Amino acid sequence: MTGLHHAIWLPLSVFFYAMVMLYWVRVSIAGNRGADGFFSASHGLPPWLGALVTAGVSLTGWFVLGGTQLVARDGFTLPVLVSAGVLLALPGVIFFKRLWFAAERLHVSSLADVFRLYYGSPFLVVVTTAIAVLFALGFSGLQVRMLSGLVEAMTGGAVSELAATTIFGFILFAGVGIGGMRSIGYFGVIQTVLVLSAIVFVAGFAVVSAGGFEPVNARLLALSLQPETARLFSVGKVIEFTAGLGRGGDYATSHTALANLSLAFALMGFQASPLVFKILFSTRRPSGVAAGQIWVTAGFLGALIAGGIMLTGAVGLVDDGFSIVTLFQGLHDRSPWFAAWMFIGVAAGVQLLAGLSLFAAAEGLVRHVYRPYFHSALSKAATVTITRIAIAILAVLAMILQTIAPVTLSALAALALPLAFQLWTPLLGVSWLGWITRQAAATGVGFGIAGVLLTEPLGYQVLSFFGLELPWGRWPWTIHSALWGMAANLAAVLIISAITNRTVVRQEAAEIRALFSGLLAISPKARDWRSFAWSIVIAWFFLAAGPGLIFGNTAFVSGEGETTAWLLGMPSLWAWGIAGWVSGLGMIWFLAYRMEMANPSQAVIPAYTPPLKLRRNNTEIEQERLRILFMAGAIVFVLAVLAAFIFSR
Amino acid sequence: MSKPARVERDLLVFSIWAVLGSGGLCFLLEGFSRDSYLLSLIGIAAIVASFVAHFIVNGIFGVGFGPGEAALGIGVFGVILMVFIGGWAIGALSESDYWSGLTLFAVLALGLPVYLSTRYGLRGAFSHFHVRHADFEDSDQ
Repeated sequence: MTGLHHAIWLPLSVFFYAMVMLYWVRVSIAGNRGADGFFSASHGLPPWLGALVTAGVSLTGWFVLGGTQLVARDGFTLPVLVSAGVLLALPGVIFFKRLWFAAERLHVSSLADVFRLYYGSPFLVVVTTAIAVLFALGFSGLQVRMLSGLVEAMTGGAVSELAATTIFGFILFAGVGIGGMRSIGYFGVIQTVLVLSAIVFVAGFAVVSAGGFEPVNARLLALSLQPETARLFSVGKVIEFTAGLGRGGDYATSHTALANLSLAFALMGFQASPLVFKILFSTRRPSGVAAGQIWVTAGFLGALIAGGIMLTGAVGLVDDGFSIVTLFQGLHDRSPWFAAWMFIGVAAGVQLLAGLSLFAAAEGLVRHVYRPYFHSALSKAATVTITRIAIAILAVLAMILQTIAPVTLSALAALALPLAFQLWTPLLGVSWLGWITRQAAATGVGFGIAGVLLTEPLGYQVLSFFGLELPWGRWPWTIHSALWGMAANLAAVLIISAITNRTVVRQEAAEIRALFSGLLAISPKARDWRSFAWSIVIAWFFLAAGPGLIFGNTAFVSGEGETTAWLLGMPSLWAWGIAGWVSGLGMIWFLAYRMEMANPSQAVIPAYTPPLKLRRNNTEIEQERLRILFMAGAIVFVLAVLAAFIFSR
Repeated sequence: MSKPARVERDLLVFSIWAVLGSGGLCFLLEGFSRDSYLLSLIGIAAIVASFVAHFIVNGIFGVGFGPGEAALGIGVFGVILMVFIGGWAIGALSESDYWSGLTLFAVLALGLPVYLSTRYGLRGAFSHFHVRHADFEDSDQ
């Protein structure tokens, strides 16, 4: 085979991919009518499209690039990953239906808007926007960096990581900046099917290159019998009381049952993020929520994770020289067309997430922060233009971070999921728990953020920079920051809701409560099932994600020592995880349909019309606000420099 | 067909060809590269599956192939045929390549009347090619 054969397929595929994307951008522009079309596709995306793209964006790229590495390095000590499909889908089952109707009633198209109208809290609006920015710069940025590294490896350095990052940045801006939400939705369908098929093929090639499943399994069994690697096949303890990683905590023993449980909570943060709600609020009906969450996300994507991703990781576990990068390198040498096609699939998954997060972040900064608080006279057309500029700036910023500050990038990426999980309390307040007050929701999220920051590297490194050394490191007591944050968050919410006046609510909140207790009220039949539902959810979390994982260590093992055998022909914890995934599928089906949390509803909700108010000219106030912001920023910067100069070591 | 329906149909068609069509092409190339008739057959089966899925989508939305699609399909078919004939002429084809190519063209050539007969019925499919003079005269009047 000539060198040209190898060189041509990857650029050809990227070119073809970009052409198809531009075609759909063109279709989207033709369909957009004004600013509403750009930001929410005029609420016209079909339900099946919303369901499919939600599954596609749900960490598919991360699972291929990061999840496989995690299994290859840590074995089956994080079995909660096997049932990740259920964990990813669960928040959607709980929130999507009610939040869609709330957004429809209030006639808004983003999570920040829902919080602004329901709670009237600028803090929650800013936090929601900040989380979207974190996903855009950190979480997606890290994946784009890995993807660029893959390109460099595949082309033998002919295309540098920087060049690949720049090309991806341009493609991202072209897709998202020009076409807006409609373009993300339309092209997202193609990206989703590409990434899902890429996962299947990556797993297939990994197994074929390892000689089939039987040899892989035999080598896994041999590894599990060696004393030095046996720990990779069991969850050691329920909890380990260490000060955390970086403060004496041992990484090898850090994957306890509680580490698994808290990681499960972090995964559940994704569908509580403002990104996914952009897709949800852009669909014309919520009728695809239940089917999409159960069968597409938990079912199909869950099967790909439990099978394909774990299999690819298992091949990496038994073969030290194997990784996604070496797989693609080898494939590129043997079958450049397959390597190019599968690369496009993985890239599509990453681009879908990166594009959506860039869009949500830019929209948040311009439409939810800048426009309402600093420039309310901004026209809709100008808002679209400034959002496009913000997308370009964020894309460039992400590229810079990916290239010159990878450590900061990792630290920022680690915050995205646990911080998004902190939005569970205000989301519960809107959808199910009407007694959560505005003060409680905002303070709870604030405490949650503090809890996350203080147990993640970014937080304690910033404090260390100012001379304050925390006595703990990352994830003390082997508990992920998502759970530390939620513990603080929940405590604050419960206490503050108890001591604040729960009868004083905004008019918009009263409208939503009336809607949920009227048209969308749960039937008495479903109410009768409530205690049973709580029981199965708690039991499932205990067995599939929590302390019950300890049972999985030996549940499907017979014999001891040399006579050890795996009853289901695979590591016991893997089989336990698959059992968790299957039972979890039943659990979310039960919650969605029997408990009526996400079942289709044909209720027609008229948009809420707020009482007419005289519009005031806020120009002076807004300019003053902007001045204060700059002054405060400058003062904080000077104080930070002084504090670092005086106290840091 | 309304514009949103047209968009949904096009999205499904693009998705089908992005997965099954591209995958089929990869297997076909792999078959040619390794001289493996079996791999080529998998590729051909995937391409046929793409066509079948495309027909089903067309059937659901009650439309046929668009003019652009027909032009693209015939164009690609022509290019592949020319490459195959060129390869045969310069003797660059192995026995496996030769049989793979023939199978592909046979399947595609057979697929056209089968498609037309499923869409228009046997008589209707024939009428699409056999245009009577009376039809022209009627239209002139």
